[in-house]
Amino acid sequence: MRIAVTRTGGFAGITRRAELDTTGRPDAGRLHALAHEVLTASDSGTPVGVPDGFVYEITVDGRTVRCADPHLSGAQRKLIQQVLKEGA
Amino acid sequence: MHLPARYTLELDAAHRTRRRIGALPTAVPDTATGPDHPVRTIYDARHQQTLPGEKVRAEGAGPAKDQPVNHAYDGLGATFTLYLRAYGRHSIDGRGLPLNASVHYGQGYNNAFWDGKQMVFGDGDGRIFQDFTGSVDVIGHELTHGVTQYTANLEYFGQSGALNESVSDVFGSVIKQYALRQTVDQADWLIGADVLAPGIHGTALRSMKAPGTAYDDPTLGKDPQPATMDGYVSTSQDNGGVHINSGIPNHAFYLVAAALGGHSWERAGQIWYDTLTGGALASDADFAAFARATATAAQTRYGDGEEYQTVLKAWSQVGVPAAPTGTALPRQASPQQQAPEGAQPPSQG
Ligand SMILES: [Zn+2]
Repeated sequence: MRIAVTRTGGFAGITRRAELDTTGRPDAGRLHALAHEVLTASDSGTPVGVPDGFVYEITVDGRTVRCADPHLSGAQRKLIQQVLKEGA
Repeated sequence: MHLPARYTLELDAAHRTRRRIGALPTAVPDTATGPDHPVRTIYDARHQQTLPGEKVRAEGAGPAKDQPVNHAYDGLGATFTLYLRAYGRHSIDGRGLPLNASVHYGQGYNNAFWDGKQMVFGDGDGRIFQDFTGSVDVIGHELTHGVTQYTANLEYFGQSGALNESVSDVFGSVIKQYALRQTVDQADWLIGADVLAPGIHGTALRSMKAPGTAYDDPTLGKDPQPATMDGYVSTSQDNGGVHINSGIPNHAFYLVAAALGGHSWERAGQIWYDTLTGGALASDADFAAFARATATAAQTRYGDGEEYQTVLKAWSQVGVPAAPTGTALPRQASPQQQAPEGAQPPSQG
């Protein structure tokens, strides 16, 4: 499973993108569960954000959902943090 | 390519009423109500992302041991003071709104924002950004998003979004200059000079004096801001490049302030403040509409003399028509510069 996160906006207005392939990862099961939860609970429409707030686009195997600070669910936050931290 | 995210304010019914009232020319009295001192409360989010967190400093209490708490407290105070002393405005809403801020939001969180009700500051990751309470212009910028929300309510998308961003940079810088009692010549006209981590090649996040020159760094990329319409960037990212194209109105303000001389919060700031709060500006105003509104504001307050002429000249220098009847110039200079997808810096934070 390929999980990509694109983060735009923010005070600096600088885009950051990272992608993570779960194949062979020891935590693949946990990531799949998080990704599933995020896809189910989020929608692909335009999120309600705030000025200078980060806006996130999460793509899991070609399906994209969007969300924005400061209204992230626990699953969205965990998935975003891990992909931006460990993805390439 | 997807539709860029629009931001929508969470407005209660009362706020919506205020906003409608605010759209009328004379409905936002600068001297409405509220105490002549701020009512500040600082919270510590303790590295969680739940707001507001634990209360750590109330109005009138002595300094905390934790410096970000004090920086936030002082920055909220500097912002309140500028709006009151320079423009007679009582806090963000003109009615004495208490000013709340949360520090230590998230872990290594590379951002600061106004959530519609309060300020939120991250610590930065220490690699690209450091403590966002460190620049008073950043604090002033964020709180000015609140002022805009209660006044012109510029839509956070496209040109009106870039104007929303620019107004925050303008007053963020003016607040810093007022706090330091700087003249336009002494001011650095930088935004976020103190939030860049030490290893980053750059002086700040944005420069109003010289947009596009604030940073050039292997990790951050290069400052993408244009100073004139020739460099206008069309992009779907960042709500249509609100943090990029703000360089154009930012530079127009700088040119007005520099030409008029003295203190930026006096005539230049007053013209921009009148434009923002006067009620004549549409929430979906584009650059040309905003430019015309500043010219009208200058004329209304100061007549047809130096101020009005300076405003017209400044907008002309950045390629935006500002003449009240102005239909002679195209709305946007062309060709538009397309932002290549690959031009975005690969990593941050
Ligand atoms: Zn902003």
